[in-house]
Formats: sequence, structure tokens, C-alpha cells
Amino acid sequence: MGRTSKDKRDVYYRLAKENGWRARSAFKLLQLDEEFQLFQGVTRAVDLCAAPGSWSQVLSQKIGGQGSGHVVAVDLQAMAPLPGVLQIQGDITQLSTAKEIIQHFEGSPADLVVCDGAPDVTGLHDVDEYMQAQLLLAALNIATHVLKPGGCFVAKIFRGRDVTLLYSQLRVFFSSVLCAKPRSSRNSSIEAFAVCQGYDPPEGFMPDLTKPLLDHSYDPDFNQLDGPTRVIVPFVTCGDLSSYDSDRSYPLDLEDGSEYKYTPPTQPPISPPYQEACTLKKKGQLAKEPRSLRWL
Amino acid sequence: MDALEDYVWPRATSELMLLPVTGLECVGDRLLAGEGPDVLVYSLDFGGHLRMMKRVQNLLGHYLIHGFRVRPEPNGDLDTEAMVAVFGSKGLRIVKVSWGQGHFRELWRSGLWNMSDWIWDARWLEGNVALALGHNSVVLYDPVVGCLLQDVPCTDRCTLSSACLIGDTWKELTIVAGAVSNQLLVWYPAAALADSKPVAPDRRVSGHVGVIFSMSYLESKGLLATASEDRSVRIWKVGDLRVPGGRVQNIGHCFGHSSRVWQVKLLENYLISAGEDCVCLVWSHEGEILQAFRGHQGRGIRAIAAHERQAWVITGGDDSGIRLWHLVGRGYPGSGVSALCFKSRSRPGTLKAVTLAGSWRLLAVTDTGALYLYDLEVKCWEQLLEDKHFQSYCLLEAAPGPEGFGLCAMANGEGCVKVVPINTPSAAVDQTLFPGKVHSLSWALRGYEELLLLASGPGGVVACLEISAAPSGKAIFVKERCRYLLPPSKQRWHTCSAFLPPGDFLVCGDRRGSVLLFPSRPGLLKDPGVEGKAGAGTGALGAGSGNGGNALAGWGPVSTLPSLHGKQGVTSVTCHGGYVYTTGRDGTYYQLFVRGGQLQPVLRQKSCRGMNWVAGLRMVPDGGMVILGFHANEFVVWSPRSHEKLHIINCGGGHRSWAFSDTEAAMAFAYLKDGDVMLYRALGGCTRPHVILREGLHGREITCVRRVGTITLGPEFGVPSFMEPDYLEPGSEGPGLIDIVITCSEDTTVCVLALPTTTGSAHALTAVCNHISSVRAVAVWGIGSPGGPQDPRPGLTARVVSAGGRAEMHCFSIMVTPDPSTPSRLACHVMHLASHRLDEYWHRQRNRHRMIKVDPETRYMSLAVCEFDRPGLGPLVAAACSDGAVRLFLLQDSGQLLQLFAETFHHKRCVLKVHSFTHEAPNQRRRLLLCSAATDGNLAFWDITTVLDRGSTALEPPVDPGLPYRLGTPSLTLQAHSCGVNSLHTLPTREGHHLVASGSEDGSLHVFVLAVEMPELEEAVGEAELVPQLRVLEEYSVPCAHAAHVTGLKILSPSLMVSASIDQRLTFWRLGHGEPTFMNSTVYHVPDAADMDCWPVSPEFGHRCALGGQGLEVYNWYD
Repeated sequence: MGRTSKDKRDVYYRLAKENGWRARSAFKLLQLDEEFQLFQGVTRAVDLCAAPGSWSQVLSQKIGGQGSGHVVAVDLQAMAPLPGVLQIQGDITQLSTAKEIIQHFEGSPADLVVCDGAPDVTGLHDVDEYMQAQLLLAALNIATHVLKPGGCFVAKIFRGRDVTLLYSQLRVFFSSVLCAKPRSSRNSSIEAFAVCQGYDPPEGFMPDLTKPLLDHSYDPDFNQLDGPTRVIVPFVTCGDLSSYDSDRSYPLDLEDGSEYKYTPPTQPPISPPYQEACTLKKKGQLAKEPRSLRWL
Repeated sequence: MDALEDYVWPRATSELMLLPVTGLECVGDRLLAGEGPDVLVYSLDFGGHLRMMKRVQNLLGHYLIHGFRVRPEPNGDLDTEAMVAVFGSKGLRIVKVSWGQGHFRELWRSGLWNMSDWIWDARWLEGNVALALGHNSVVLYDPVVGCLLQDVPCTDRCTLSSACLIGDTWKELTIVAGAVSNQLLVWYPAAALADSKPVAPDRRVSGHVGVIFSMSYLESKGLLATASEDRSVRIWKVGDLRVPGGRVQNIGHCFGHSSRVWQVKLLENYLISAGEDCVCLVWSHEGEILQAFRGHQGRGIRAIAAHERQAWVITGGDDSGIRLWHLVGRGYPGSGVSALCFKSRSRPGTLKAVTLAGSWRLLAVTDTGALYLYDLEVKCWEQLLEDKHFQSYCLLEAAPGPEGFGLCAMANGEGCVKVVPINTPSAAVDQTLFPGKVHSLSWALRGYEELLLLASGPGGVVACLEISAAPSGKAIFVKERCRYLLPPSKQRWHTCSAFLPPGDFLVCGDRRGSVLLFPSRPGLLKDPGVEGKAGAGTGALGAGSGNGGNALAGWGPVSTLPSLHGKQGVTSVTCHGGYVYTTGRDGTYYQLFVRGGQLQPVLRQKSCRGMNWVAGLRMVPDGGMVILGFHANEFVVWSPRSHEKLHIINCGGGHRSWAFSDTEAAMAFAYLKDGDVMLYRALGGCTRPHVILREGLHGREITCVRRVGTITLGPEFGVPSFMEPDYLEPGSEGPGLIDIVITCSEDTTVCVLALPTTTGSAHALTAVCNHISSVRAVAVWGIGSPGGPQDPRPGLTARVVSAGGRAEMHCFSIMVTPDPSTPSRLACHVMHLASHRLDEYWHRQRNRHRMIKVDPETRYMSLAVCEFDRPGLGPLVAAACSDGAVRLFLLQDSGQLLQLFAETFHHKRCVLKVHSFTHEAPNQRRRLLLCSAATDGNLAFWDITTVLDRGSTALEPPVDPGLPYRLGTPSLTLQAHSCGVNSLHTLPTREGHHLVASGSEDGSLHVFVLAVEMPELEEAVGEAELVPQLRVLEEYSVPCAHAAHVTGLKILSPSLMVSASIDQRLTFWRLGHGEPTFMNSTVYHVPDAADMDCWPVSPEFGHRCALGGQGLEVYNWYD
């Protein structure tokens, strides 16, 4: 397999590199916007779990260009700087982070909060789905602090066993909750995006970051585990049919006549957790396994 | 009421699961293993054998078990009874079990208690259970009544990735929490002044640069070990953690895993860790690796347990396998490598070659032509003979057989061969065979009756010598029987030979990689037909003579598989159990057989990754085999069954003289290094004492499940069960129905499984590993019985086509027959028939420079077999391709020839599904219809009845002569969904129509009635063929049927449909009354279900349904 094989298998990966996006997920936000006009009238936007920063790139291009627009990107990890985006390296479960965001917006709440974060999947499905749900709920929790009434919240979800519990939780806070899948997201992937419009917290709700929002549990009346009544929100496919198909393998010379040229990745990851292990391996300094036990 | 009854019928119940093993715990001499919501109980004390006692079903509902905590008994008696807290996800249940005298009984189980948050750890505190929850809080729970006693959060409510509870009372309870910030937080829940008042962390410990997945605390030594995403394990000196404010010191930082570390466990003298790299490492507390256990497949080891008294480590993997390893000493049974101290003033010369005669006598020859014997028991060198004709160039091979037959052969550069009886070297016999160099020597032994020595000389001539001994044993006779001639090549000599039972033929391998079949007594062959063939085999080769059967020129092979093992050559041939096995330096081994005097490849298998030099193959006493080979600079004995390297010897590589011998008692490996003989010996032969408690299935996600058929075994085959008879349900002793199912997986293998209806077990019969990339689809056809339709004996044959990534497709046949010697009572024989790769096809084209190369990254997503009613025709295999094409492949010659026949790029998007069905109407030709579906939600129907007819209008001729035909426009297209179609099924209705159902990525179902109408005869114009019109009659859509992709769909009857989705619900739908209506649904346990197959078993049994995804689950329901 050469370096071009991923370009062949994944047209959006290749287009992202060619268009200077840090990740192919930029197309997902663009296609979501195409469907929902997410950026209309938005001047203050927050990108939670922003690294590597492709969504911030889209936000700064769509909002930051309008002069009055402000984009704040929050992530636990360091991220390469982006023009027009204010970065906060912080924890979205901390109140200080929420305050810092508001401060940057000069006291005004945000119009749009997006979160494309996902935990590093472990392969154990129930753990991964739980972790993703907690990330979304943490994003929702901080959004309750920074989002203006009527504002919009977009977050990645894994459509697994307990996704209806998330839907019912989101419905408490938003007048409209939809599940959207951009065409740049693959059919084989369980990811989708919860597009929540019209922020409208229940009466008497006090935002409180000291307590985590816990996911709902199954309810025998309106969200059953195995009964017919489940909270399944309408599903919308975003991006028109003429757009590229993320599942399809394309030849390197696309039909638009442009000639293929290999482009290296825009932004390689900054200090991944396995960095030290890789360095040691390269130097041959990993702990050695015994081979033949005794040399007589 | 009718409606009420309908609601509960049919109800699916889970009967079998193969899921990642996520929890393991040793309790006394029992092992508890958590698989999904079930607990498997193994007994570890049964006379050194291990066996499964019981599967305790459905302890955790729809949750998966992540751990067990056994309630400590004050009197320490866990041998008869135990109280076990079982937890996973948000669920907790207590179960009381008794297991005295080898009998298992569940005495009591509590309710299933649902927590508000994820449970990371549990600990018994005097009859109550303390739980560490997902957002850094601790609760005390009364598990008998099910009520919350205490609930204390930490001030820092971060999300945790692991936690560890320490202490035996609430007062001293300590939690070590692994936070997303990669820190360890130590705090004391009892420090809460009032109930539910948050407690501040006592200590924060940093060190890891990744999330912490597992922790283990060793109270006796005050040590804590942590395993992390950063691929390291850290050992901390913490003292007594129950005392606040203590110092935490990192005393070890262990890098050894090549991937994330999932589990860690501290024992008194060891540290065990296991992770995503499927390796379980044993460390000393000082951070030194003592042992490495390899063998699990796939995405890692998920659970570990230790039995300290027996020094066992038990691991559970994502492949759903469970293995037991010996912690100390017995890991590598080898005595290590020892030098045999050849160099001495009394023994001049340098060693040139070494061989082993049996496992206790070693022979070596020097460049002075001296032959030495080393007796491993006496441990001394002895010179047998010296012959200066054998200076500088000398080959040396000992005869096979348990003790090497007491013979060895030498050969030199002048065409002379010397056969030496080891005990009486003075009786050695010399024979000059060739005018030039002898290139190779090999032996062939038939029982104790016939011993042949084959020597290759110049020009591809192989002399076959018959060796016999005088009755006195003092003299041997060497007689040249015949000469064979090898096919021409640059390095034209043979490398290995073996008798093909019963003994009329010899199988040889040559340096060019070909496998050849020679008659062992060609002089007896008077049949001119065979001679003619032999002549044809040799062709007009060298050696001067073109006359077939010329004894001087040599006999040609009667059958040849040219270059089977590639240019590096064949390394060994072995005949066993009716098959021939060959190994080669291309890293593969082949299973072959001889049918009608011709060699036929059955199956190609690859050895372990990186072992590109397979040197040999041995059958071991337990019926399996081991592969010998060189892996970089190591000699490796590898077991394909357990994927384990049984012996690793750092010998420096295969480019030196080496020898291997094995008997049941011992195995030996000798090689030359630094002018000396190095010897590795291991008692107990090739085996290693590790135990596979349960075989793993696929290492990665299952992508497709297909049921082949059922085999009914009579009671004479016994109960294919590994459980005790007293736990079997009554009525299960009768004839056993065993379903044969084929699964394929991202791990590049196709697996044939036996699923008995009675025992709730699954047996993997065989795995086919021909694919180089993930396998995404299988299709089955031509199901029959081995002896034909009239044969009453149980058994099953079928043809299978599999396809997947890298545009690769394979066709093979399977034959399942009863075999009382195996645990499943079945044996499966696989024969590879044909393969196809799109880019390979392109390479073979003459005018390829003018054609676009088909992208090798194309994936086949789905397959459908279209069988024609005319005998000898087809079938066609339709493939859904990721490059937007639907391709039709023609299989001819009963599966031996696979060719791309036609294609269409109608969809222009990734095609996800293809499905074929037939339309039969009175007085009409049977129509063959194909339905394809793509990522845009579009369905297309094609009539392919006539595509194979001469001059058919269904196909358009290719643009270029080298290209396949083009399939015309579809008969009907339909926008069924807004996005990708992940499941598709049809069923003919009583009215002569077809019900078509599809399920999509958006969770919706689409059901419609399709009418196939033939135009009236008068309407047909001229001679044009009648083409049926497809029309949609009724059409229904259920938008939010599931919360995720609908990946499995089956119309069971015109009134009943079942669907399965990634949201883990198996749902029944009522059809036929307008819109499909929900009947009931069951939550199943396989995540990421990719496929489902359902089939009726028998009227009494109802239906069975297999779901494949990250694991396999089988459901059944009564009709």
C-alpha cells in the first residue's frame, strides 16, 4: 500500500488535504450548514473539543470573516494556532472555562456551540458509547452557561444502543432536536450529529457546572428499552446528491479534470500520548523480552 | 385478546453468544468469565484438565459484565459456596452460587440494580457494596434489598476512565480515580461531613501522558500499578493508601507494549499487563519483562486473572477466546541453547554441515571430509569415518524415522554418494552417480518397508536409490532404482521428497518452487498412457533423449504444480491424513491432494506475520500441526491453531546448516554457529503446556453471516457437548441438529462454524485465510450431501464465494462430515477453487496500456449468487462494489474458473447491497432478477435472465474488446431511502408478486410489493425478446423504525418481518395490513451488528437467527 491508497479510498480525506483543512471533518460542518444554515446571523461561536481544529477553520472562515465575528476554540490538548480563532486550552467541565468564553465575547452569550469531539475509541462498544455520551453531556452542560436562548448546539453522537437516552436529554433543552448525517460521514460509521435548535431550558433551570449532567435512563412511559415507544428523532441527510460519496473509492484523477498530485497531511497531531513509546521503540529501548532462557 | 397475544409472539430468546471476554476472576479453583451479560464458570481442578461447568445466563440484562467481586468469607471457605457481585456498565447484581463436588448451582440472585452512572469498580464492605461511579463519586449500596445507603461525590466531578477502591470498611474506604486529565485522584469518601457533601481530593498524582485504563493495588507491599493509553505501565510506591497524605513515588515506568495497555494486575512477585497488542507481559516489580504470552487475535486482551497458588495467568480477549498460561518456569520448556564444544585439537577442520538422526544423535561433517557423531545422552564426540573425497563440499542428511533409521547419507561435488550406517561406519557404501556435483539429498520412507534416497545431479537428473539392510544388520545394500528428470529451470534440483500413501508415488518439491509427483516404481509402469504423459511432462528436455520413458534420461513427473511456492523454492513435503502438505520460502504452506493421479491444491495458508521462510511442518500428537520456519534471525516453531510461537531460537537465520527433529518425548534443533554446533532441546516435543480454555472466533468485526445448512447426527455420535450431562436439558440426548454457518470478518478470514441446537455452544470447524484484506461478504450455493442426494449418511457440501477489500474474490467448496474424534463431532474439508482480483485481471490484459487500471482499493460490499435453471451454466456472482459498480462474475467449471463478465456503473455511488431472486409464473420462463442498492438510498432492479444467452439484448457489448460487457439500463429504479441502504430482502407472495424490504442508515424501513408483468404476446414486436415490466403496487415507509442503521432484515412470511440494527434491537414487524406495525423487540448484545441471517430449523424448534458484528449471537423463537 502506497501513500496514495488512503487518498483513493477516502475522497474527503484527500480533498481536505488539498483544500488545506486540518481534517476531513471540515466537510461535515460545511454540509451541516448547507442543510441547516447554521451560521446565519451567528457572530459568536464556540468550538468545543476543537483539536485538530478543522471545525474552527470552518467557523473562522464563515463567521470570523464578517468582522464582528468571534470564534473561541476550547480543547484539553494543545492545538496549532489558527488566525481569527481564540484558543483556550482548558477543560470543558470547569466553570472557569465557561467564564473565559463569556469574557471573550464581552459578556454576551454565544449564538452557536459546536462539538465534534470524540474519545479515543477503545473498541469496547459500551464504554465508547458511554464516553461519547459523557462528552456530549459535558458539552451540553457548558453550553447551558454560554448559549443564548434560541441558540443552536451541534454535537457528534454515536448512534448505538442507548442513543435514545441522549435524544430525550437534549429535548429537555431545545425546542427542535434532529439527527443529521452529512454525506461526508461514511455509511459504515455510527457517528451522526445532533442538531439542536432553539435553546430553551426548562423553567427554573440553573446552569451548574459543579454537577455533571447524567444521561437519562429508560422510562416505561415515553422511552422504553425494548418497547415500541422510543425517542427517535427525525433523521436528515445533509449535502446534496451531487457531492462526493464518502464510501466510494475514486480514481486518483477525479472527473472534474484536475490532475492528481499527492498532498501531505495539513496538520499532523501534536504530541500524541504514544509519542514516548514510539521514540523508545525507534531507539530500541523498549523493555526486552527473554528469548532462549539460559545460554549454557 | 388477539392484540395482546400478538404483542408477545414471536419472542426471540438468546441461546448463544461469542463476545469479547470482558471480565475474569479466579475463585478458589474456579474461573468466572464474563461474556456479555452471561457468566461462564470453569472448573480448574479436574485432574489437571480444565472444563466448563456452566453458563449462567443473563445476569446483567442488556449490560455487559466488566467485573466480578467475590464476597470475602470470614472463614475463607470459597470451595463450596460464594456470593459474587457482578457489575458492568450501570448494572449490578449479586448472585449466590454453590459449586461443591463438581456440581454448579445458582442458589439465589438479587434484582438487577441500575445505577445513575457507570460503575468503574466495586468492593464488598461487610455485606454492602461500595461502587466507584463514572463522574468521580462513590456510593454505598445494599445489594440485597437494592437501596442506596451513601452517595458521596468528589469536588472534582471529572469523567473517570478507571477507578480502584481500597479498604474493607466504609470508614477506611479509599478511592484512586483515573481522571480524563491523566491524573490519579486519591480521596476518602468517609471524610464527607454530611451526606452527599463533596469531598476534596487528598492527593493528585501526575505521570502518565494518556488516559489510565486500569489500576491494581498490592496492599502487602504498598504498591500501585497503572496501565495507560501512553502504552506504558507505571509502578508507584504508595505505602498504605488508606492513610491520608502519604508520599507517592513512581518507582517503575515500564515500556514494553506496542499499543495501549488495557489491563494491569499486581501479584506478590509479579506484575501482569495486557493490552491492545494482544500480548500479555509478565514483569518483575523492578520493571523487567520475564515472559510474554502471545496467541490472542484481533483487538486485544480485555481481561486478566491470576491463580497465584497454581501460578497461572488467565487472559480473555476481544476474539472471545480464553487462555491459561503458566506464570513461571514452564513457559518455554526448552533447556535453552547449548554449544556442543566441537572445537578441539584432536578434531581438525571446520564444520560444514549438521544433521540430527532422531532426537538424541547428532552428526556433523567437516571440511576435511570427516564425519562425527555426537550422542546427546553420553555427551561426547566420536569420529565415524574420514574420506578426503568429501572435503570442501559435502552434503549430509540423516534418514528419517524415530531414530533416524541408523543411517545417514553424504554427497560430494564429484557425483559420489556415501550411505553410512551410524553404528557400523565401516560398512558404508559409496556410489558414483553423476559426472558432476550432487546438488541435494533427501530421503523418503514408507513405513519400515521401503527407504529411498534421492540425489539431484547436474541437468535436473534425480537418482533414486533403494536402501536395504542385510538381515544380519551388519551390511547395507544400495541399488539405483531409477532416475527422474525435473522440469528445466536455472537452479534445477529437488529439495524434498516423501512417499504418497500407499506408496506408489513420490511427492517432491524443487528449488524452483514446483511440486512434482513421480511414480515410485516407474519400471513397473507398462501403461503407455502414463508413459506418454510422463514424456509430455518432460517435453524435449536436456539429457539428450526425447524418447518417453528412457530410463537413462529419467522419468518425468506424472503431475506438476509449477512454481507453487514461487522462486525461492519448496522446503518440505509431508503426507498426512490423505493430504499432502508442502511448505516454501514464500511464507506459505499448502494443503494438496492427489486425485486421479494428479496433484491438486486444496488450500493455501499463511504462517504467522513476518515469517517468510517456512522450513517445515510437523504433525503433533493432539492432531494439530506445527509450522517450522525462520523469522528474521530466529528459528520459530509456530502453532497455527493457537497462533502461538511455541519455541523461539535465536539462531541467526536459515542460511546456515541446521537440523530439526522431534519425537513425542523431545524436540531438538541444531545449527552451526561460530564453528561449533549449537543445540536447543525441549522435552515434551513441540507442545507447550498453555491451555486454550476457549477458542477464539474472529479477531475483528464479523461482516457477514450465512447459514449453509443443517446436519443431523444420530445418537451414535454422542452429545457434542463440553458440559456435564446432568446440566443438559432433557430431550437433548436424541439426534443432534447442527447448523453450519459461515462467517467472515475484517480479520481477513472466513470461518465455518457448527452451531448445535442443543448445547448452546459453537465450534469453529475451519478458517480460510486466503484473503489479503478484510472479507466483507460471503455467498453460498450448490448445497448438497457428500455422497449425492441418495446418500443417507449425514454430511453437507456447499460452494462458497467470499469477497472483500482490495477487490479480491475467492471461491471454495466445503464438505462437512461426521468425525467422532473432534469435540464438535464434525470435520470440515475446504478446497480452494478459484480466485480473482480486479487489478490482476488488468495486468493480464495484452492491451493494458490503453485501458484504465481498475483501482485495487475497490471494496466488494455484498455478494449475491444468481443460479440459472439450465444445467452447466453459471452461476453468476453479483458483487456490489465501492467504486460505484455492480459487477457480474461468471463461475464456470464447477467453480474453478472465475471471470469478470459484465458490469454497470449505473449507481455512480458506492453500492452497498445486492440481492438476487427469481420470478416464476406458469407457462413462462423463470426470470432471474437482481436488485442493487447504493449509498444514495436508490434501489435498481435488473432482469438478468438472458444475459448468458447468445445475442442477448440485456447486455451492451464492451467499448473495448478487453473490457467486460455492460449491463443495460435497469428495469426499475426506486428512491427508497434518503441515504445508504444497509439491508435488503425479498419474498415471493401468494399472489405471484414479490415483497421487497430495505432498511437504511437513517433507521427507516421501506417495504413494497413488486409486480413482475410479462407483456402480452401480441405486443411484442417482431423477434424481440419479451422483457418483463416491473411495477410497484403498494409502498410503505417506516421512518424511525430504529435509532441507527438497519443492517439486518428478513421477511419471514408475507405477514412477518424481522429487522436488526446497530441500536442493538431485534424487532418483529407485522406486514400485510398496510403499513408495517411494530410487534415487539429484544435488546441484543452484539455491538455494531453488520449482518443477520435467519432460517427455519424444524417445526418444533422454530427459527434461529445469527447476528454478527463485534461478536456473534444466536437467537431463536418458536413459530
